Amino acid sequence: MRGNSTVLAALNKILTRKLTTINQFFLHARMHKNWGFEQLNNKVYKASIDEMKHADKIIERILLLDGLPNLQELGKLYIGEEPGEMLKLDDKLQTEDINHIRQAIAVCESEHDFVSRKMLAEILEQQEEHQDWLDTQCSLIDTIGLENYLQQQL
Amino acid sequence: MSQVVNTLNGLLAWELTSIDQYTAHSEQYADWGFNKLYERISHEADDERGHAKLLIERILYLEGKPDMESRHALPNADNVPEMLSADLDLERKNATALKAAIELCEQHKDFVTRDMLVGILKDTEEDHAYWLRQQLGLINRLGLERYLQAMM
Repeated sequence: MRGNSTVLAALNKILTRKLTTINQFFLHARMHKNWGFEQLNNKVYKASIDEMKHADKIIERILLLDGLPNLQELGKLYIGEEPGEMLKLDDKLQTEDINHIRQAIAVCESEHDFVSRKMLAEILEQQEEHQDWLDTQCSLIDTIGLENYLQQQL
Repeated sequence: MSQVVNTLNGLLAWELTSIDQYTAHSEQYADWGFNKLYERISHEADDERGHAKLLIERILYLEGKPDMESRHALPNADNVPEMLSADLDLERKNATALKAAIELCEQHKDFVTRDMLVGILKDTEEDHAYWLRQQLGLINRLGLERYLQAMM
């Protein structure tokens, strides 16, 4: 099935963002682990795997639409140097991802590609959930202090 | 082979010292109520006992006599960060001695002893020393009281 080129471009753009997020989350997870924050490692590692599953869905959809999935591009990684900063940077990246997915959903809607739209909406739902978790962590750090927060992440 | 046996006896002194130090430290942690530290460090003592057993078996196989008496000096540490630092120091000295012994085995073409020592070195580097370094890093990040609260 030949896909609409505007939709394919939008899907490839989201794919680039996914590949970027996979890498950032993966590195951050292992940095948390290296410092002994096992709970943060588990959570962020799982988020990285979720991003990979999203990338997989987008790749399959692009192929179904007879497009070429672009796995060469990688956006800029925001890598922090300490756990609090890393969570904030993950939140920043995830917030940007959400905005891009919303734009891509609007493209699918205007091009009447309702199945791609549905796929992106499902991805968006998971992104919002993860962003909500990140927001909560940043807010906990503000409320109880970084040291008390980190004590709970061993 | 006697040079290898002497070196293995030198390593055995480090392992026996480690067993003593970890046993003393783990019981001290239990007495203070830091049960998580007790569990981890008494498990380290068991690991070191396993290493000592390997060394003794190998020395006997090489028809040497295991020296069960020699020890290195135990540290004078009386609080948790000092004890963890002293344990890390011990692991690092043990690793240095292991590397020298591995080189000696290579020279003497005693590849089976060498292989056994590499296994012990891997435990020392990746398990014991790494964990200790993480704890000292956590004390820095969390502050001592919060760290200790998490170790109850």
